[in-house]
Amino acid sequence: MGRKILLIEDDRETASYLTKGLNQEGHSVEQATNGQDGLFRATDGSFDLIILDRMLPVLDGLSVLKALRAARIDTPVLILSALASVGDRIEGLECGSDDYLVKPFSFAELLARVNALLRRRESRVDPAEHRLTVGDLEIDPLSRSVRRAGKKLDLKPREYLLLEYFARNEGRVVTRTMLLEQVWDYHFDPGTNVIDVHVSRLRRKLDEGFEKPLLHTVRGAGYMLAA
Amino acid sequence: MPTTLRIALLAGLLALLSNLAVIGFIYFRTHDEAAATVHQQVLEQGKVLADVYRSGGKPALDDAVEDTMTYADPQAAIALLAPDGRQIIGNLETAPATVLPMQEGYHNVLIRLRGQTTPREAALVIHRLPNGQWVISGRLAGEGFAIRETLERSLLIALVVAGLLGLLCGVITARYVGSRITAIAAVTNRISARDLSQRVPVTRAGDPFDRLGTQINAMLDRISALMEELRLLTDSLAHDLRSPVSRLRSAAHAATVASDPKEQEEQLGSVIRQADALMRILTTVLEISRSEALTSRKQFSWFDVGELSAELAEMYDPLAEERGASLEFDRPCRPIPLFGHRQLLAQAVSNLIENAIRYGSTGGTIKVNVEPGGRQIRVEVGDRGPGIPADRRDEARRRFGRLDSSRSDEGAGLGLALAEAIAHLHQGKLTLADNEPGLLTVLELPIHSQQSRAA
Repeated sequence: MGRKILLIEDDRETASYLTKGLNQEGHSVEQATNGQDGLFRATDGSFDLIILDRMLPVLDGLSVLKALRAARIDTPVLILSALASVGDRIEGLECGSDDYLVKPFSFAELLARVNALLRRRESRVDPAEHRLTVGDLEIDPLSRSVRRAGKKLDLKPREYLLLEYFARNEGRVVTRTMLLEQVWDYHFDPGTNVIDVHVSRLRRKLDEGFEKPLLHTVRGAGYMLAA
Repeated sequence: MPTTLRIALLAGLLALLSNLAVIGFIYFRTHDEAAATVHQQVLEQGKVLADVYRSGGKPALDDAVEDTMTYADPQAAIALLAPDGRQIIGNLETAPATVLPMQEGYHNVLIRLRGQTTPREAALVIHRLPNGQWVISGRLAGEGFAIRETLERSLLIALVVAGLLGLLCGVITARYVGSRITAIAAVTNRISARDLSQRVPVTRAGDPFDRLGTQINAMLDRISALMEELRLLTDSLAHDLRSPVSRLRSAAHAATVASDPKEQEEQLGSVIRQADALMRILTTVLEISRSEALTSRKQFSWFDVGELSAELAEMYDPLAEERGASLEFDRPCRPIPLFGHRQLLAQAVSNLIENAIRYGSTGGTIKVNVEPGGRQIRVEVGDRGPGIPADRRDEARRRFGRLDSSRSDEGAGLGLALAEAIAHLHQGKLTLADNEPGLLTVLELPIHSQQSRAA
């Protein structure tokens, strides 16, 4: 299930590294090395995802993004940027990007976000009405009730949100930063393992007493919910 | 020194112009006054002759004319003319009819008196007697002219002297101004050559030069203070980056020499972790300077501080519990609206909570509290840990001011500095106090700034 990704990045080294990695994951990547060229290619709307560097020659990333959104092209956009402050991230998101990743990043982090964005595009049709199932886990987003093997799990509101996010990204790696951004809506980098503590609490409620664990730790990347 | 020359010339020119105005005034006034005096005298003389004629008749007038010719000063002109203009008696040399308009009244004419070689300007009054004869009386204006010539010469000399004096004053002024400015310029020059300790000399006169000097000195004081702060920061940044960089280096080295693939992988993972830690330090330093530069104010919006604190307390509760402490939060019953940067404030509060968990968990309870007030909102985080002695609290707030330097695993000592910078962004402040026992960190966020901004 390869997808078409447009990579707008002027740094050749980063671009070839990303292209290689994304190709290995089965995606086809088209490259643009400046903002104007990138905008031109993006306007045909045939891409599933656009990875956009923020500082580009000719036309900067945010201008490309604004132009795209003004032209009603709603292809998901992931911004890559060396501008790492909270203000910069918020600015990028407010301009209409779907995600913001700060350089330097690990490829695992990028891939996790790319997959989440592609997935979101796939399941954009009334996500709340579908019952989510992962193995013997059943989640009802309407009543926010969770059952595993028929047994009701008692989750706190935040734990539920965490689990629902995992379930919507079933089988894909979810990083700690993604959890902080998507489940808590915070864009700073905590100096502690606060996210891990929440995940391990959820794991205790989810997997304790069951033979087969659902919530896995992916070393060097994050977590994954999979049957 | 072209500027000095310009100032001197300008001063000289101004002196010349003002003197010219004064001298012109004097000149015209004297001239007018001389003319008026002659006019007056001539009119009076004419009137006297008319009176003589009216009271004594023709013989008396003849006598008066004779007397005037004999006794009056040589400038007086007098004549009795026949109706056809011929002079009967008088001291006019020129035939009066040729130069005089023979009608009554006051006239200014060129006329030659008897015994004189050149015609001169004179003021005359002509009067016609009932028998058809003419009486002419008047004065030469020569005396006035002589005075005028002397005056003109004196005034011209005065003008030259005034011009020279003006030029001299200009040179002196220019020298003085120049020397004051040169003193200031010399200091700024030395400052450009990187000696910030220089100060502009200030006299006690309190003149504009002194005010300028005082301003420049105050500016220099501020710049030096900032430079010193910057230097300290750069020093501590460089110093504090040494340990993560050396850990990174040793991990990388261990990876290159490791023979076992598993161990190598382990070391490479450590390399990445150390690099991430370095990036985190740099990002935080950047975030602090961004907040201090107030650039994020355009992202301000209204939000509920109570709600935000509740969320963060809930977020950190499991972590506190894992470290053996309990996190307490009393949710305020009403929303506490604040106009500010929600994300950055979340980071500030989370830094305070993380700080309390990291250093104060041993004491048991950590209490987060939000207090709405009329003027400010207080967000308090109090722990029951060892606290920080009063004399070391400022140090704890400084960038890289981690008190216990042996703790190298977590945090680079930037948390409180960032919280303080974010407080400044909101025109508030961060205070550290004694929680008796433990440390109480308080973010004080004023409300006035929000209202003015929202209005």
